Amino acid sequence: MLHAELPICATLKIHMPKEEKTIVVSELSKKFTFPVKTEGTGWLKNLLRPEIRHVRAVDAISFSVTKGERVAFIGPNGAGKSTTIKMLTSILFPTSGTIRVLGLDPTTDRKKLAYKIGTVFGQRSQLFPNLPITDSLEFFGVMYDMTDIQIRKRVIELAELFELNSFADQPVRKLSLGQRMRAEVAASLMHRPEVIFLDEPTIGLDVIAKKSLRDLLVKINNEEQTTIFLTSHDVGDIESLCNRTIIINKGILVKDLPTQELTRTFVYEKYIDLVPPVAFETFPELPDGIRYATKGKNKITTIVDLDRISVRDALKALLDIFEVEDVDVYNTDLETVIRHIYEAD
Amino acid sequence: MINELYFALYAIKKNVQSNAELRTSFIANIIGMMINNTSFLIIWIFFIRSVGIINGWTAADILGLQGFSALCFGIVFSAGGGIRHTAEYVSSGSFDRFLLSPKNLLLRLATSSFGVSAVGDMLFGVACLAIYATLLHTTPYQVAFICVLVILSTMVFLAAVVTVYSASFLFVDSNTVVDGLFELFLTPALFHGGAFRGGMRFIFTFVIPSLLIGTLPVEAVRNASLEKLLLITLLSFAWLLISFKLFYAGVRKYESSNFMTFGS
Repeated sequence: MLHAELPICATLKIHMPKEEKTIVVSELSKKFTFPVKTEGTGWLKNLLRPEIRHVRAVDAISFSVTKGERVAFIGPNGAGKSTTIKMLTSILFPTSGTIRVLGLDPTTDRKKLAYKIGTVFGQRSQLFPNLPITDSLEFFGVMYDMTDIQIRKRVIELAELFELNSFADQPVRKLSLGQRMRAEVAASLMHRPEVIFLDEPTIGLDVIAKKSLRDLLVKINNEEQTTIFLTSHDVGDIESLCNRTIIINKGILVKDLPTQELTRTFVYEKYIDLVPPVAFETFPELPDGIRYATKGKNKITTIVDLDRISVRDALKALLDIFEVEDVDVYNTDLETVIRHIYEAD
Repeated sequence: MINELYFALYAIKKNVQSNAELRTSFIANIIGMMINNTSFLIIWIFFIRSVGIINGWTAADILGLQGFSALCFGIVFSAGGGIRHTAEYVSSGSFDRFLLSPKNLLLRLATSSFGVSAVGDMLFGVACLAIYATLLHTTPYQVAFICVLVILSTMVFLAAVVTVYSASFLFVDSNTVVDGLFELFLTPALFHGGAFRGGMRFIFTFVIPSLLIGTLPVEAVRNASLEKLLLITLLSFAWLLISFKLFYAGVRKYESSNFMTFGS
């Protein structure tokens, strides 16, 4: 009887399987202080009693990540991405707020947490420059208290998965950037971490190396259920790797939504391609809210600003101006959407 | 604890292997440092021959002093060569990787680099102490004293180095200041022990622990003085404790950075 009186949502809540939260961040802030030079003040005063400026690199952000999710944590330069990742991985102490990664507090459980997470910093190498990759992998194995047999097995596994065998015996300093990055990720996965934090892992890589790294990360995520938390400026990383995107700007969390919904939800512009029956001869001035993206004899691409003109009106106007055989209307790419979100803030 | 020590030894082994890959520089560094130390010792021996014994300090004592100092310098800066790079790690942000490691932070930092030239100091120190023990016609009791004192002076040396290099966390580009502070500690430690009397002796024992490295150990061995041994023991443990506290207080001030870095 009592059960029958419970509201439907409460009953559902009891029976629904609880999603395992890997990362829970609440009201997280980080403040940095640094001296600044005051204009018009003597150098001695600037040296001895400089003005101290406080900057909130991260300002009261809250979010959570579920086990197995692939999350892109993006934002423009200086947005607070790296600072957040460093707080999540015990590198920096937060000024305020709470963090739980796999149920552990990074500020007090640094060592315990390190056994459960992996990290890759695109600008930092964790490998021995003078030794072959296998030595670095073995080093990580010993660091994570793995037995000799476990280390040997895992090195073989990762070398196969990341295709390291062809250059496994070369000193790391002689590897290409793409090869080194694959080795970096492999090293961070030695101990089968439950979460892997990647800070710009594809920085400086060519398109092939980027694709190969992204594919590997998806594979690891599928096969080992490793949660991926990634920061990147590369839209390709976000599109092909992450099923969720969190956008941060000036330390504040701006958007948090599935990556697929990004282009659908934040459409500020539409593209219209016009194909002529023979060839376009002239390119007249376009109505307000429409501009040329490309002008070609065989195809014109225009950009429609949806704040100023609707697609319907734009199409009507364009068809009045040009004689066309075919028309194609499509959304802006993710990069443009993200740029707009950054600029709006 | 066993895992920590096993990993520390393993890290040292890997660093040695990594350095040994550059064979010529590896050997040249060791020999170069031994030549450097020998020339320093020769200057002191000539000094004593021309000036004579000062406050009971003979040429053999100077040999002992150089032996203790070089040996603890060699042990700390070879196996724990990473400490010397603290300022560089902090300013470049590569200290991050130690915080990401599941091991003891200080041990991980110390064993992150192997000081090849310090092996030369270590070998020189052993040679000096062996000659010193022979010249002194030491009893087995005094030999045991030397062994215990090597451990204690290494502890003090480690504590001093950790304390000095912890200053790296306080401000950016601290290399010059940290190196200056280290010289302030090291120079008196290598100086003629007989020169320190009264206030100077007090300062360089209790405020800056330079005399605990070589001067007091040599005097303790010479007189088989248990009082001096006890004093060095107490001070070495106290300094070690203080240095660890200062190091971890410094780590809390670490702010990281995003420079490109390399190495495990």
